Amino acid sequence: MGELNRHLLAPARLKLTTMLTAVSEVEFAVLRDGLGVSDSVLSKHVATLADAGYVRSRKGTHEGRRTTWVSLSPTGRKVLRDHVAVLREIIDGVD
Amino acid sequence: MESSGIHPTPDEAAAALLDAGSARDQLAHRLTLPSWFYTSICLAIVVQIATLAVGVADQTSAGIGLAVAGLVPFVLVAVVQLVRFRRLNGVWVGGLASRVVFGGDAAASTVYFLAMGAAIWAAFEERWWLVGLCAIAGGVGYALCGVRWMRSYRGDPAAHSRGESVLLLVILVVPVLAGAVLLVGAS
Repeated sequence: MGELNRHLLAPARLKLTTMLTAVSEVEFAVLRDGLGVSDSVLSKHVATLADAGYVRSRKGTHEGRRTTWVSLSPTGRKVLRDHVAVLREIIDGVD
Repeated sequence: MESSGIHPTPDEAAAALLDAGSARDQLAHRLTLPSWFYTSICLAIVVQIATLAVGVADQTSAGIGLAVAGLVPFVLVAVVQLVRFRRLNGVWVGGLASRVVFGGDAAASTVYFLAMGAAIWAAFEERWWLVGLCAIAGGVGYALCGVRWMRSYRGDPAAHSRGESVLLLVILVVPVLAGAVLLVGAS
């Protein structure tokens, strides 16, 4: 059985990266509302995942105000796929 | 991969996956299309096919100008609707842009080229009512393919969210625009 990725062990980070698979890019507030966390908590998660190279964040505008847009990197997509595969193995009871 | 060495129980793993999948699906289901989305795309394609067919069959500089001018409403509608979608939802979905708006979906491309080919033939035969009919069929078919894509996306957002790369779109669009400019210049 493979190993779980330590950056994706936190449920909020697994949720965050999984949500990012549904879009090409998402605005910070949409992600925050979807996860049900505060700005600071989401900022920390995004920063951690960006440092690991799993997500990309860039400054932009939305409805005339400055904001941050977040997307999943190709590395993040692969890591998430591997992580989910290991979780499925655990669920299936594969050793 | 940065391994954790930690293994949750099957129940914990199932709960984590269910929660994450649910959040992703909720995001996909919350996305709304701007008003008149499919209608405007349908009308833009109708105009584009009709002007292209009439312009090509005319075989004069004015005809070429008409064919190229028919692209303008389509480009305007595409840009405006994609900007509205992004503003409305706070997300960008590459699959929506490339598959629904720019016709990258195989079925949409097939419908479009069949309708365009039939419309051009009808224009050469001077059967103008058939040109209109083909253009309408092309526009309606194109829009219906978009409706179908949206259903597929909501059923499996991860599989459908991504569109073609920007590089590929540039490779496809630049020759078309260059050809249009050359045609207008030559005429």
